[in-house]
Amino acid sequence: MTAPSPVPLPSVPSSASAVAGLIEAVQRADTALTLLQATQALAAAAHPQAAACLVDVLGFNNPGAAVAAVDGLIAIGEPAVATILANIDGTNYGARAWAVRALAGIGDVRGLEVLEEALAHDIGPSVRRAAARGLGQLRLEALERSQRECVVGRCLQALVQGCGDDEWVVRYAVVVGLEFLAPQLQEQLERQQLLAALRGLEADSGQEASVVQLRAALALRRVGAAPEGCPHG
Amino acid sequence: MVAAGNVDQQGPANGDPISEEEALRRLRLTDDPSAQYYAAWWLGRNRSTHPDTVPLLILALRQRCPRDPGAGVEANAVARNAARALGRLGAPARAAIDDLLATLEDDDHGLREVAARALGDLRAEAAVEPLRRRLASGPAVAGAQEPGTPRLVEPCEALLEALGEIGVANAAVLAVIEPFVQHERPLIRSAACRALLQLTAEERWGHQLVTLLQHPQLQVRRAALMDLGAAGWRPALDPIAATLAENSLKLIALRGLAESRTAAVPVASTEAVLQAMDALL
Repeated sequence: MTAPSPVPLPSVPSSASAVAGLIEAVQRADTALTLLQATQALAAAAHPQAAACLVDVLGFNNPGAAVAAVDGLIAIGEPAVATILANIDGTNYGARAWAVRALAGIGDVRGLEVLEEALAHDIGPSVRRAAARGLGQLRLEALERSQRECVVGRCLQALVQGCGDDEWVVRYAVVVGLEFLAPQLQEQLERQQLLAALRGLEADSGQEASVVQLRAALALRRVGAAPEGCPHG
Repeated sequence: MVAAGNVDQQGPANGDPISEEEALRRLRLTDDPSAQYYAAWWLGRNRSTHPDTVPLLILALRQRCPRDPGAGVEANAVARNAARALGRLGAPARAAIDDLLATLEDDDHGLREVAARALGDLRAEAAVEPLRRRLASGPAVAGAQEPGTPRLVEPCEALLEALGEIGVANAAVLAVIEPFVQHERPLIRSAACRALLQLTAEERWGHQLVTLLQHPQLQVRRAALMDLGAAGWRPALDPIAATLAENSLKLIALRGLAESRTAAVPVASTEAVLQAMDALL
């Protein structure tokens, strides 16, 4: 399978003063359109200093600008994570949903708890869907082996739980998350658990979303699963 | 189509988790329309297969009466939810087709609308002629705005979509649908193109829907997304993925493409559709 697409690093960091000007433009924006344009410009700079301002935009109830802000936060990547986590707003549902998407896109392991919580309990299917994908896409290369195994195990359990979600689109995202997670699994037992989860979604009995079944069948082919009925995974 | 943005089709926000037995009990409470309203929605949403479900929903559908706008949760709200639920239940609800056909002749515009949709969901061929008849006067009469309301004289969108869903493509049906492709309202144009695409598989209707994906109004772009998804028209894969609308709606549309079995020439493979969906999660 293909690895999750890497987050592009800003090749030429904009100068601090240029970023300050872009931030000011976002703060000055007084219409939906100027906010969108200013946010897009700030996001394109992908500069760590932009993170706090982009996080603010998530709470402005302007979906277009929020999409741009999420893209910008993902482009900033790791340096944005602490700011996102520190500003998760339990009272602003919309902002929280966007923050989960940004964390899912960045894939930093510090977001694990937020993603677990979001997949298990968030009322918004679009948030659970982003969290499920994100749980398969955490970037683990820098972790020590034991820590990596622990994180992978938690991701797997969260995704296995997510197989029972009521919404087809969340189950679809769980399939994608499981497919991404598969190469990280070292334990034979965990691998069998993952394959069993995918096979369950391939059957997806009782629900009528054949697209979930189609996606699960594709994931099983990609992770190189033996056909059903063979004893090993 | 309007399903994705239509709050009325969601459950009541304060709905509590109940059992099937409890839903059936509440649906029998003919003196408590708000309990019935929730129960009818619940049974459809959860695709109840209990033997009492369809008969009780039919009784709820018969509770309809001349509208009394001052009556709070009026009886027709229960009938509307009963019709929607019957549509969702699929084959077992075909026993309700005669009642839905009678509802399609009701004076209440909203009831005709939900009856049309339910008959489409149930693929009720017996509904083709009555649906065609309601549209036969064309955009200038059936499709004219009703004085004093934002509505059209007939619920054209629902009637057109139902004809497309049922799938009887005779010349008389096509001749009645085609003029609506020129309707002044883009949502009606979208519904007409969708029905014609489903009935004829002719590319020109798909191309018109793709053009609507660029419409300046978000509501129209959303409708065109849902209509392309309902028709499962795979050549729309890239335009759908690039549309300026919520990923949630694009995913629903692409699901329609992925599950489509009618693609004679698979211009886009199922895997390509799934890949586009992955990118929207």
